[in-house]
Amino acid sequence: MANFILRNAEPKDVSDILRLIKELAKFEEMEEQVVLTEKELLEDGFGDHPFYHCVVAEVPREKQSEEGYTVVGFAMYYFTYDPWIGKLLYLEDFYVMKEFRGYGIGSEILKLLSERAVKTRCSSMHFIVAEWNKPSIEFYKRRGASDLSLEEGWRLFEINKQSLLKMSAK
Amino acid sequence: MNFIIRAARPEDCKAVERMIMELAVYERMPDQVKISHKELERDGFSQNPFYHCLVAEVPEAHKSTEGHTTVGYVLYYYTYSTWKGRCIYMEDLYVMPDFRERGIGKALVASIAKVGTEQQCMHLQFSVLDWNKPSLDFYMSKGAQDLTAKEGWHLLRFDGVALIKLAQEAP
Repeated sequence: MANFILRNAEPKDVSDILRLIKELAKFEEMEEQVVLTEKELLEDGFGDHPFYHCVVAEVPREKQSEEGYTVVGFAMYYFTYDPWIGKLLYLEDFYVMKEFRGYGIGSEILKLLSERAVKTRCSSMHFIVAEWNKPSIEFYKRRGASDLSLEEGWRLFEINKQSLLKMSAK
Repeated sequence: MNFIIRAARPEDCKAVERMIMELAVYERMPDQVKISHKELERDGFSQNPFYHCLVAEVPEAHKSTEGHTTVGYVLYYYTYSTWKGRCIYMEDLYVMPDFRERGIGKALVASIAKVGTEQQCMHLQFSVLDWNKPSLDFYMSKGAQDLTAKEGWHLLRFDGVALIKLAQEAP
């Protein structure tokens, strides 16, 4: 199967996007952490001030998945800023349904995003990967990615909403 | 010592550029700084800013030995989690060494926390170098969790030649 298209996500795609987000979270063993809703995806991605951008991979009706889906992959990204080099493209989520892998969909999505990064004057594309996710790490390293956590010692930290409220009340 | 935290203005970009370099020197990577106050002005103060910045300012009477009154900054932007929605990312936090231990760093982080909660952000994320013990201790005392240690997240990057090569193969 070689037929698929990549296109910008539209409001009608939010239910497929959420389905794919949950599938990826399940693979990352963190399914219960997904609290985002279709309504929030719609408001935050397609309102006056989008917080994210999204591309989807779609197959023709005759190639639909076992459950009848034609949207079979997605990538969500947004622009961030590095005070040393300027604009960056940050890849937040990137997923292709299992039965549609091996056809180059993932590679094509990555290339499309790289092209967008270069066209919009981004110096770099950043993303995070779980260290146990060997297939993904190999996929990215084969294409020239560097692991900044290993090479430079960067560790990712998080302060949750509860602690934020506590800090801002002082 | 008196200080105020306020939103950065275009004219602050030279001071922010100076402090960005000071922080890069501390992080042992000054040769990696490629942009100047010109790009900071263009990218932070257009209709669609790519970042936001707060600065800490002291009165003229308390200026630094070189005469600076802008003595700290925090640079941040909004991100999006597919699990939770809107989030806030603290890219840089810095207070000049002579002005530390006076609550300025704490006030800058609290200001970001306030912005984050007002904008309904679900969490604040940031990165710290593994050898930077003073910063690690500071953040852990505020309730931060090390997701690299806890969940194994690594930060990866495509840049320079690798990015251009990937882009040239685009459909």
